[in-house]
Amino acid sequence: MADNSTYHSWLNEKRSHAWSVYQSTPTPTTKSEEWRYTDLAKLFPLEQITLEMGLVDSTQRPNREDLIEATNTAGRIQLTDGLVTNIQVDPAVDSQGVGLDSIQNTTHEKYQEIIRTNLCSHVLPPESGKFQALNAALWKDGVVIYVPKNVHVKMPIRGKHTLSTGNSAVCARTLIIAEEGSHVSYVEEFHSDDFSNKSMVSSSVEVVAHRNASVDFVSVQNLGRGIFFQVAQKSLVHRDACVNTLNVNLGSSLSRLDLNTRLLEPGANSKMLGLYFGDKDQHFDHNTSQDHLAPHTRSDLLYKGALDGNSRAAFRGIIRVHSGAQQSDAYQTNRTLLLSEQARADSLPNLEIEADDVKCSHGSTVGQLDPETIFYLLSRGFSRQQAERLIVLGFLGDVMTKLPHGAFRRVVKNVTDAVEQKLRHG
Amino acid sequence: MPESKLVDNLDLDNYKYGFVDSESHVYRTKPGLDESIVRDISRQKEEPDWMLQFRLKAFKIYESKPMPTWGGDLSDLEATLDEIYFYVKPQEQTERSWEDVPDKIKNTFERLGIPEAEQKSLAGVGAQYESEMVYHSLKEEWASKGVIFDSIEDGLKNHPELFKEHFGTVIPIADNKFSALNAAVWSGGSFVYIPKGVHLDTPLQAYFRVNQEKMGQFERTLIIVEEGAHATYVEGCTAPVYSTDSFHSGVIEIVVKKDARFRYTTIQNWSNNMYNLVTQRAVVQENATMEWLDGNLGSKLTMKYPSCYLMGKGAHGSIMSIAYAGPGQHQDTGGKVVHAAENTTSSIISKSISKEDGRSTYRGLCKVHEGAKGSRSNVECDALLINDTSRTDTYPYIEVDEKQANVGHEATVSKVGDEQLFYLKNRGLSEEEAMGLVVRGFLEPIAKELPLEYAVELNRLIEMEMEGSVG
Repeated sequence: MADNSTYHSWLNEKRSHAWSVYQSTPTPTTKSEEWRYTDLAKLFPLEQITLEMGLVDSTQRPNREDLIEATNTAGRIQLTDGLVTNIQVDPAVDSQGVGLDSIQNTTHEKYQEIIRTNLCSHVLPPESGKFQALNAALWKDGVVIYVPKNVHVKMPIRGKHTLSTGNSAVCARTLIIAEEGSHVSYVEEFHSDDFSNKSMVSSSVEVVAHRNASVDFVSVQNLGRGIFFQVAQKSLVHRDACVNTLNVNLGSSLSRLDLNTRLLEPGANSKMLGLYFGDKDQHFDHNTSQDHLAPHTRSDLLYKGALDGNSRAAFRGIIRVHSGAQQSDAYQTNRTLLLSEQARADSLPNLEIEADDVKCSHGSTVGQLDPETIFYLLSRGFSRQQAERLIVLGFLGDVMTKLPHGAFRRVVKNVTDAVEQKLRHG
Repeated sequence: MPESKLVDNLDLDNYKYGFVDSESHVYRTKPGLDESIVRDISRQKEEPDWMLQFRLKAFKIYESKPMPTWGGDLSDLEATLDEIYFYVKPQEQTERSWEDVPDKIKNTFERLGIPEAEQKSLAGVGAQYESEMVYHSLKEEWASKGVIFDSIEDGLKNHPELFKEHFGTVIPIADNKFSALNAAVWSGGSFVYIPKGVHLDTPLQAYFRVNQEKMGQFERTLIIVEEGAHATYVEGCTAPVYSTDSFHSGVIEIVVKKDARFRYTTIQNWSNNMYNLVTQRAVVQENATMEWLDGNLGSKLTMKYPSCYLMGKGAHGSIMSIAYAGPGQHQDTGGKVVHAAENTTSSIISKSISKEDGRSTYRGLCKVHEGAKGSRSNVECDALLINDTSRTDTYPYIEVDEKQANVGHEATVSKVGDEQLFYLKNRGLSEEEAMGLVVRGFLEPIAKELPLEYAVELNRLIEMEMEGSVG
C-alpha cells in the first residue's frame, strides 16, 4: 500500500530525529535536581545494554478478532516485547468508531492522521528528556486509542505487556485521544519473569482529553527483577475535561516515573494516584508535576507506599500554579511506611504558586507502623504478622478506594493479591 | 475591588532605617577581591599565621566553587562583587564605653535606639559598623560569672585556645561558596562563651549596620554554650538605601553542649538593595535545645537556612521563621534539621507573606540518619499571598534513613479571605483594622515568641500601614 509506506517513512523520520536528540542529551546525573535521589550510573549504567537505532520496517498486522463474552472489558490489546500481537474489540464498541490499534501497523487512515498530529510532538516531544528521546527513537510499536465525540466506552480497555527475553531495551508508546464529551478507561499491565541480565522497559504515554472528555488511565507494573522500568506520562486536559491516573509499582529492580499533568483550560481536573511496595533492593523514583495553566482548575495527587527490605523510594512532586490560574485547587500528598530498618524514603513535595486566589496544600509523611494500632489488633487476637498485614493493606488500600467502583474491581484484586504476596515473602 | 486598594496599604517595606551618614573610615581596601586583599585584612587585624593560612585556603576554595544556580537570582552578583569594598574599618578599636564611640557612629546607633535598649533589658550589646565591631559591652554581673561577650577579633586575641578549638568546626570552609568567602574575608561579629550552668536571664544583642555604599559585610560569630547553660542572643540588621547593591554574608557557628539551651533571634531588616546570603548552623548535643527565630523583612534577596545538627541523644531543634517579601524582594529562607542521634526531635514552623511582585520561598531539609531511632520531626509552612502578582514556593526535602522515625510536612497557601474580612466588618471593624487583624493573626504564633520590643515593632509596622488607607 503506497499510503502506508509514506506513513512508515514518516514514523522513521521522527525516530531518526529523536535519536539525534537522544545522542546530544547528556545522561542525567544526581547533580540534576530531578535525579537527585537516583544514581543511574550506579543503579543502571546505560552502557550495559545495547542501544542501537534501527529503522522499523515491520508491516506485520497483529491478529485482530472480535471480543466474545465481553462482560467487563471493551477491548484487549496484547504486546510482546513491545510489539502488538493481538487485538480484540467488543463489536458494539467497534461500531461506535472507537479505535484500538497498533501505532506502527494501523492501516486506518483516520488513526494515522491522529498519530501524525499528536505522536511525539506537542504532548511529549523527544526534547522532554534523555529517556523521552530514547523512547521516541527506539519504539517499535505501541497502542493508539481513539474515542470519537460523545462516545462513552463503559468498560475499560485492557493492555497487557509481556517480555520474553532480557538484555534488551523494549520501548513502547501509548497514545490516547479522547474527543469532546467522550469517556474511556485504559488499564495496562506489565509482567515478566526475573532476568539475570539487565534489561530496560520504557513506556511513553501521551493522553489528550478534549473539552468535557474524561480519561481514566491505570498502569500496573509487576515486572521481574533485573529490569529498569522507565515511564514518561503526560496528560493534556482541556476545558471541563478530566484525566485520572493510577500508577502501581510493585516489580522491577529500578523504576523511574516522570508524570506530568497540564490543566490547560478552565474546569480541567485531574486526580493522580500512585501506589508502591518495595522489597529487597528495589528502587522506585516518582517525579510528578501538576501544572495549573488556567483559572478554575483542580488537581489532587495522592501517592502512598510501603518499603521493606533494603528498598528505597523517592518522591519528588511539584504543583505549579501559573500566573493567572486563579481559583485553582491543588493538592499533593505523599505518605510512606517504612517496614524495615534498612528501607529508606526521600520525599520532596514542592509548591510554586504565582496566583493569590488559590487553595493549595501539600503534605508528606514518612513513618513506621503505629505501635498502638498493632497493640490494639494483637489484643483482639490477631497475630503480629496478621496485624501488620492488615495495617499495610489498609494504608495502601486507601489509594485504591479512590478508583471508580465496578470497572476496576479486577485491578484492585490483582494489586491486593500482589501486595499480599510481597508481604508474605517480606 | 476595595480589597486590592486596601492591601496596597499593607506596607512593611516603607523603610525607615534608610538614612545615610557621610562616609567615615580610617582604612578600607580597594574595591573587588584578590589574594592581596585577603592578606591585607589579616595584616590589619594582626592575626596569628594560622588564621592567615585559614583565610588563604578559604579564598582558593571560594574561587573554585561555582556560583549557586538554585535559590534566588544571583546572575548580577558576580558584577556586584567586583565593585564592593570587602573591608572598611570605621575606627581604630572596639570600645567598651559608649562615650568613646565616635559621635557620627554613635548618632547612627542612637537613631536606631541601641544604647537605650541596652540599659533597659539586655545583658550585653555589640554593635558593628561596616566591617568592625565599634562597640561591645557586657554587664559586670555576667562578666564576673565568666560569660564572654566580645568582638570575634578580641575573642581570637584573648581566648586563642577556646577560639581555635571551635572556629570553623560547625561550618567547614567548603560548606558552600559563601561560607568559603566569609572564611576568607570575615571581619566583625561576636565571640560568645556561656560557662557551665550559667543562666542568662536577659538577652545578648548584636546590631549590624552597613553605611558605606557598595559595602560587603562579612561578620563571623562563634557561640559556645557550655553544659546546662541557658542564653538568648538577638541580632538586628539595617542599611541605607543606595542605588547600587550591597552584600552581606555572615557565618554563625553555634555549639550547644549537653543539657544547654540557646535561642538565636534574627530580625533582618536590610534595605532592599542588599544581597543577604548567610550560613547559620548549630551543633546540638545530648538533651540540649537550640531554637532559631528568624525574621526576614528586608534585603533584595535573602538566602538563609538556619540549621540544627542534632548530634546527641534527645537533642531538640526548633526553627521558627517569618518572611515578608514586598515589591522586588525575594526571601528564599527556611531551615535544616539533621537527626543524627536517637530520640532527637525537631520542629520547623514557617510563615510567609508575599505582596505585589514579592516572592517568598520556603526551602528546607529534614534528614533522619540511620540509627536515629525514635526521632520525630514536624514541618509546617503557611504562605499568605496578598496580590495576584505575588509568588510563593515550597521546597521541603525529606530524607529518612531510619524506620523508627516519624517525619511529617504540611504546607498551605491562602489569601486573606473575603469572608474573614466580611465577618470582621460585621463586628464593627473597619476594613483596614480587619485586614491588620487577619495578618497579625497569621503571624501571631511566631510573633509571640519574639522579644517584646520586636513583637511590638512588628505589630506597629503592620498597624501603622493599615492607618489612613480609607480614601
